Amino acid sequence: MNKEGVMLKEIFESFDSEVTEEFLELLLNAMRISYMFNPDFRNNIEDFKGRYLFRSRDGKITVAAVFENGKMKVKEEEIGDTDITVSFRSAKALREFIFSPKPDILGSILRQDVVVDGNFNYMYKFAFMAKRLQLMVTGRLQ
Amino acid sequence: MSLSHTTASKITLNDITLSEYTLEGLPLIKKLRDRLLKKKPEVCIERAVHYTEYLKNAPVDASAELRYANAAKYFLSRKVPLFFDDNLLAGTTGSKPFSAPVYPEWTGLTIWPELDTISDREKNPLKLTREEAEDLNRNIFPYWMERNILEYTRKEHGNPKCMKIFERIVFFLATKAGCISHTIPCYTVALEKGVEHIIEEAASREAVLKSEGDLDKEKRQKIEFFQALQIAMEGVVAYAKNLSREASRLAAETQDLFEKENFLKMAEVCARVPAKPARTFREAVSAVWLLQIAIHAENINMAMSPGRLDQILYRYYREDTDKGALTVKTAMELVACLWLKLNDNTNLVPETAEELFGGAGTVPAVTVGGVDENGDDAVNDLTYIMLRVTELLKTRDPSLNARYHYEKNSKEYRNRVAEVIASTKSVPAFLNDVANIEVLRAQGTNTEHARDYAVIGCVELGVPGRSYDASSAIMLNLVSVLELVLNNGKRPVTGDEQIGPVTGDPSHFESFDQFWGAFKSQFAWLAGKAIELNEYFGRAYQEVLPSPLLSAFFDGPMEKGKDLIFGGATYNSSGATHIGFADTVDSLNAIKQAVFVDKKYSFSDLKEALDANFEGFEHLHAYLVNRTPKYGMDDEIAKENSRKLIRFLHDFYQRHVNYRGGKYRSGYWTMTNHAGQGKLAGALPNGRKAYQVFASGITPVSQAAGDLPTSLRMIGGLESKCIASGEALNLKYPSVSTEKEIETLGQTVEAYCRHGGLHVQFNIMSYDDLIKAKEAPDDYPELLVRVSGYSAYFKDLNEAMKDEIITRTAYDIKTGKAVPFPEESKDMLSYE
Repeated sequence: MNKEGVMLKEIFESFDSEVTEEFLELLLNAMRISYMFNPDFRNNIEDFKGRYLFRSRDGKITVAAVFENGKMKVKEEEIGDTDITVSFRSAKALREFIFSPKPDILGSILRQDVVVDGNFNYMYKFAFMAKRLQLMVTGRLQ
Repeated sequence: MSLSHTTASKITLNDITLSEYTLEGLPLIKKLRDRLLKKKPEVCIERAVHYTEYLKNAPVDASAELRYANAAKYFLSRKVPLFFDDNLLAGTTGSKPFSAPVYPEWTGLTIWPELDTISDREKNPLKLTREEAEDLNRNIFPYWMERNILEYTRKEHGNPKCMKIFERIVFFLATKAGCISHTIPCYTVALEKGVEHIIEEAASREAVLKSEGDLDKEKRQKIEFFQALQIAMEGVVAYAKNLSREASRLAAETQDLFEKENFLKMAEVCARVPAKPARTFREAVSAVWLLQIAIHAENINMAMSPGRLDQILYRYYREDTDKGALTVKTAMELVACLWLKLNDNTNLVPETAEELFGGAGTVPAVTVGGVDENGDDAVNDLTYIMLRVTELLKTRDPSLNARYHYEKNSKEYRNRVAEVIASTKSVPAFLNDVANIEVLRAQGTNTEHARDYAVIGCVELGVPGRSYDASSAIMLNLVSVLELVLNNGKRPVTGDEQIGPVTGDPSHFESFDQFWGAFKSQFAWLAGKAIELNEYFGRAYQEVLPSPLLSAFFDGPMEKGKDLIFGGATYNSSGATHIGFADTVDSLNAIKQAVFVDKKYSFSDLKEALDANFEGFEHLHAYLVNRTPKYGMDDEIAKENSRKLIRFLHDFYQRHVNYRGGKYRSGYWTMTNHAGQGKLAGALPNGRKAYQVFASGITPVSQAAGDLPTSLRMIGGLESKCIASGEALNLKYPSVSTEKEIETLGQTVEAYCRHGGLHVQFNIMSYDDLIKAKEAPDDYPELLVRVSGYSAYFKDLNEAMKDEIITRTAYDIKTGKAVPFPEESKDMLSYE
């Protein structure tokens, strides 16, 4: 496994145990790096245009992800003209929303963990890519 | 187009129970059934591949009508003819033995996050190969990102507030995001004249219009519709021909004599029907199945119901048996094969939705019995054959509904239905002909058509091939309205956000009428949003998702030159069903009694107790549970509130006309939503604690109504004309086994019908049986239960839904009194 692979594996394995406030930033950067170095994974964003805004409810975290021309850019700022805005209660809640193998949807609604505003299909695609990457780097993709 | 299938009622069976026919005596059926129960569902991408492929390359200037007709033909003519087993009927809904088809126009994309994990997920896994997952991810889903009905509608209307409220999930569900489906086509014309006749008629009408010249927009649209009908029907015929060719090939290949003969027969049948008129019972049953497959090419597999099969198929049965060409045993085998085929597909449900909606089947409802269009007894040999097949198979689908006219149908029929319920422990449901026919007449349906009603999915009434009802358009949570009133336009589950209008702090209300006024305001606002969104969706379907193929099997579209989605059917309506009816009524009762009649507690006391989930308010809680009126009891306040609520909702909806020109109708059936929504609601004034399930359908709150005869009188006494979109009453007996008990069950149903009730269904199971089944699901793999209008395997249900079925009041068949809930499990009850 190359240097990037080891680093990504460590990042994703860390998601299984402890979730810090940097979760989203780590995830997005892991995805960005993977698009750069892994052609198979990059295929997911060929011809894909999408503008995502992630925002923590307490206002402490605002991160945008922009997909265009086969590349992904991560910006720590508000962007306009988004396809989807994802507001989350905490990094843990967002982690659960994207990765949980056994989603607690009722609990998530009760806690208002994540509120999505915009085209849901963008969230579905994003969640697929994040999960796919997790399975790839942890060697669990069948 | 005539859809009449009136036949003189005739029973020629020596024994209506058909007890001499058992699964052991029907080895083919036993083998097919065993195989079915072992099948694991698999995601089927075949339709998604072909539709997407066609639509990607379709002419951009083609109308939606022609695009969709061509897509249907493209798919059906390429659909692989598959034969997975020795079933006597050719054709499969999907490309897998047990398919969960992907419909990307609707909810297909919701499984995108799960493509790599869906095969191994914990709840209801669906097998999907890596190659299929890649196809969905790379080629299919990207095309639909901006095009599925939800996102198309969102874009057209700028992500409106009504959509945002819907997407909070806890107020109402606007089900057009997932389908319209929910309808009963009538295949009589296709059976009697053949699909080629439909093609010819459409071509003739097209030619006449073209010859008139001066083609204005309306005429051009009609011409396109007639063209679309022909194209779609050509697809249906092409699929049957492909099946025929493949069956011939397989017949030549196999050395097995049974297989060879069966393949040859299927080849012959599919070469004939549905293109040409059916001549035999086997051809007619085969044609019904092929047409069922065909309508699923266009519309999602949810409650696409075949209707009154004992009436539609009777003519062919009678002719064949009179000629000596058909035995009862063969008729049973063919019906059983159809029943098993109707189980060859399931819904594609993302894991995140399993907790709210898990366990539901595709609910192709079959309706038997009752009266015919002339008002005469319609029960015939086939009615009893279908009852016996259902009794033997005990499969989730089809959802069987037995119509019962207490003045026209015999006591023997009534008791035979009761006997099948006792035997299967759950099916069929009883539908009261007298009341249901009147309900439809009150909605403007002419009497003959009303008498021909059938059940659409769960319990909703439709007229096969005549009414297009979109019966599940709205599923509105009544408890959410109550909570909006209690919290001045907010709900605990959505926090401090002002959702509904400000209707005032209830602690300042000086009368119950003031509270009721606030309830009406919040309801009108919320239901208004639900209707607004349904209308947006309806227009979106008109723009991008018409149903030319389905339109071919309705009376009206051909005559009007208009697709169903534009109001082509004879009758049009939209249904709004309500979740949490009994909990809402009981809460209204409690507020009236506690705050305004007894004046035992102030509203502030009550609100404080609700906010604390009654912790520290044990006396108040005990008072609410034990001393306030409950729906289902003979109590004036309970009667007044239940009747007032039903009347108010009915009047509200009837004032609204949908995009097809039909009225909205209200109903009370809840599928699994009463369980899931209950888990999202705070404590209620009736003493129900926070996050506990609601009562189902129109059923009283579990354990609230202790005397069944009284309860049935109260429920039957509701104004049935105000329940035009159907009701689901769920009852439970621990045991019904002796002849006397079956007779009592039949009498109980008749009494309920005479009181005016519309529908009733049963689970014949004890609390202990169900608790054991929850604890050890693998020991009860085939345990079939009635949920709230349909059947499900208990093991497939989510935990909340299992709890709700366990806690439903069980009544002693001998006394009609509630059986005490097991002391050791009392914490499952909503008020404990």
